[in-house]
Amino acid sequence: MTQPMPTFDQARTDAEPLLSVRDLVVEYHTQRGLVRAADHVSFDLHRNEVFGLAGESGCGKSTVAHAITRILKPPAHIAGGQVLFDEVDVLKLNDDQLRDIRWRRISIVFQSAMNALSPVLTVGTQIADALQAHENGTAQMTRRQVLDRARELLDLVGIDPDRVNSYPHQLSGGMRQRVVIAIALALNPELIVMDEPTTALDVVVQKQIMDQIRELRNQFGFSILFISHDLSLMVEFSDRVGIMYAGELVEVAPSQAIFNDPQHPYTVRLMNSFPTLSGPRVELFGIPGSPPDLITPPPGCRFHPRCDVALAGRCQTERPGLQPIGARHMAACHLLDDKIVNKEDAS
Amino acid sequence: MIAAKPILEAQGLTKHFRTGGAVSQRVVKALQDASFQLYPGKVTALVGESGSGKSTTARLLARLYEPTAGQIIYAGRDTVEDKGRSKLLKYRSEVQMIFQDPFSSLNPVHSISYHLKRPLQIHRKAQGRQMTEKVHDLLHTVALTPPADYTPKYPHQLSGGQRQRVAIARALAVEPKVILADEPISMLDVSIRMGILNLMAKLRDEQNLAFLYVTHDLASARYFADETMVMYAGHIVESGGSEELTQDPQHPYTQLLLSAVPDPARGLRTQETEIAGEVPSLSEVGEGCPFAARCPHVMSRCREAMPPVTRLSETRWVRCYLFDEA
Ligand SMILES: Nc1ncnc2c1ncn2[C@@H]1O[C@H](COP(=O)(O)OP(=O)(O)OP(=O)(O)O)[C@@H](O)[C@H]1O
Ligand SMILES: Nc1ncnc2c1ncn2[C@@H]1O[C@H](COP(=O)(O)OP(=O)(O)OP(=O)(O)O)[C@@H](O)[C@H]1O
Ligand SMILES: [Mg+2]
Ligand SMILES: [Mg+2]
Repeated sequence: MTQPMPTFDQARTDAEPLLSVRDLVVEYHTQRGLVRAADHVSFDLHRNEVFGLAGESGCGKSTVAHAITRILKPPAHIAGGQVLFDEVDVLKLNDDQLRDIRWRRISIVFQSAMNALSPVLTVGTQIADALQAHENGTAQMTRRQVLDRARELLDLVGIDPDRVNSYPHQLSGGMRQRVVIAIALALNPELIVMDEPTTALDVVVQKQIMDQIRELRNQFGFSILFISHDLSLMVEFSDRVGIMYAGELVEVAPSQAIFNDPQHPYTVRLMNSFPTLSGPRVELFGIPGSPPDLITPPPGCRFHPRCDVALAGRCQTERPGLQPIGARHMAACHLLDDKIVNKEDAS
Repeated sequence: MIAAKPILEAQGLTKHFRTGGAVSQRVVKALQDASFQLYPGKVTALVGESGSGKSTTARLLARLYEPTAGQIIYAGRDTVEDKGRSKLLKYRSEVQMIFQDPFSSLNPVHSISYHLKRPLQIHRKAQGRQMTEKVHDLLHTVALTPPADYTPKYPHQLSGGQRQRVAIARALAVEPKVILADEPISMLDVSIRMGILNLMAKLRDEQNLAFLYVTHDLASARYFADETMVMYAGHIVESGGSEELTQDPQHPYTQLLLSAVPDPARGLRTQETEIAGEVPSLSEVGEGCPFAARCPHVMSRCREAMPPVTRLSETRWVRCYLFDEA
């Protein structure tokens, strides 16, 4: 049983969202059965906003990112919903139309991308190829101009432009990841989807890269869909955060509210599951049990078997929908019923 | 503050790996001149970036690697020359290691019961009916209850956190005095990490175990460890009480490392720190301080020789010329 999702503007802004994901359902057909990895996921992402998707391993973050960028492969299947990018449903585009917006308007940085660079081509060539493959005739650039632009892009991401002639193995992991970010930036996209862009890197390098991304965003004004399982980084880097659990979005709020004033019992426990470097040292408990198998998710609220405040009855049978519970704050929990505000008050 | 005697101690511990072929031989200086102590009932964290030498240190202490130089003193006696099988077996039963990956550290074809009985047999800790009792006790200790639900299971039937609990139970089976835990929670989901750290903290307190906690997560070191040591490119550069060290870092590298850790509790966005350079290759680190090339306070002598240990208090020391009076 699914509830209709509210579709009010979450970010209290007059402008239309750049990206509006509506009731997205993605399934994987596996030998063991049907895995519904994204189940009626809805959120908006505004221009110049960093929207974070967080949650435990396997909760469906990458699935959502891959659906938005239409790079899902079988056994994945989009079973429903809309992904409105600038009011056009990305899920309905044909291959030509898709090629038009991919990289030019929406680009992607993957976690393992730095290992996906070709070992036999210089980074300059790889950036240039990306530029030419997608430039699409608008401004036919000469190879010379393209290479100049590649140098410029390296400079932007903090790499010495003379490195255009380097091969990936001559660069550190952090530098390779910067090259990947340079490729994502190449065509000035409006949205960059970043799936764990720094997960394989050390904190010092991560900090360098995240600072750089922030600076580039200030300069160019693109939006970011940011995915990470590092909740500290997530809260620090995102403007708003959506928390996923077992394929569902259970809470969406500005990142400081997610950290300081979480409402959904899962988010509350999650924020109490990791230590921080400053602030009081308090005992932390984590969450008993583990996330469900998505082939046989529990009925009712998917979190109820691990929830210490679940109500016998309702939480076990009736699935809660994402409801507005305050300014720019939504959560999907029956216990928050008395906090539900109507759309107008929330926006 | 530290009254007890150390149970395990490293003195000038050094490990160089020779890699590459005959023509292109390189020496990887994975650990250089490390001296530190582990105490009963205390957790000592070893933190640092990837490749800094943390696992090498743990593996040396576990006697899985032969040190290039230095001593490993267990209960007051240097053990480096103990090479016989029976002596090593005895040592390894008292100093147990827990690895990062609970998936690969258990054997998929054996049941949980087998995993726990095996060390009991090898080290003759129990036999016959006692054996089953002991296995149940161990599962109780790591909160896998009721034990009978878990004994017949195979590793793939358990979650990551449960597997790590089995790995801990297996380490406890031989009644060790020291546990060397190499990134024991880094492959686990956030929501189950604290359960494992809290379990280890309980073991520290109730069984008076000494822990070496290897991690790249400074916030977890602050939470779990009594003492923290910071490593950079094969050198331990600073050591002290975890709270002191994380709240008031002294070594310029520790300061850099801490400033890079995302910290939502710090409130507003972090200041943008200027971070130049990269970690040097371990086959290229020279005689001086390995951080010299990146250090904002670098002096000429920093490039000449590694600074000696400067004690800042009974529990705090740093290897940096900024603190060296001489
Ligand atoms: N190709 C696939 N075939 C079958 N199931 C899949 C496939 N890819 C993902 N899944 C399943 O879909 C669910 C969501 O996976 P997804 O990769 O989106 O999670 P995630 O939140 O990105 O996790 P992580 O933090 O580990 O990257 C998981 O239960 C996973 O097992
Ligand atoms: N068996 C080995 N042979 C050769 N070199 C090795 C060996 N083991 C480790 N090294 C090298 O020693 C250095 C230190 O490695 P070590 O595994 O101790 O680092 P670490 O701090 O544990 O890193 P990580 O955080 O990535 O686990 C690295 O440069 C590594 O490549
Ligand atoms: Mg993922
Ligand atoms: Mg290691």
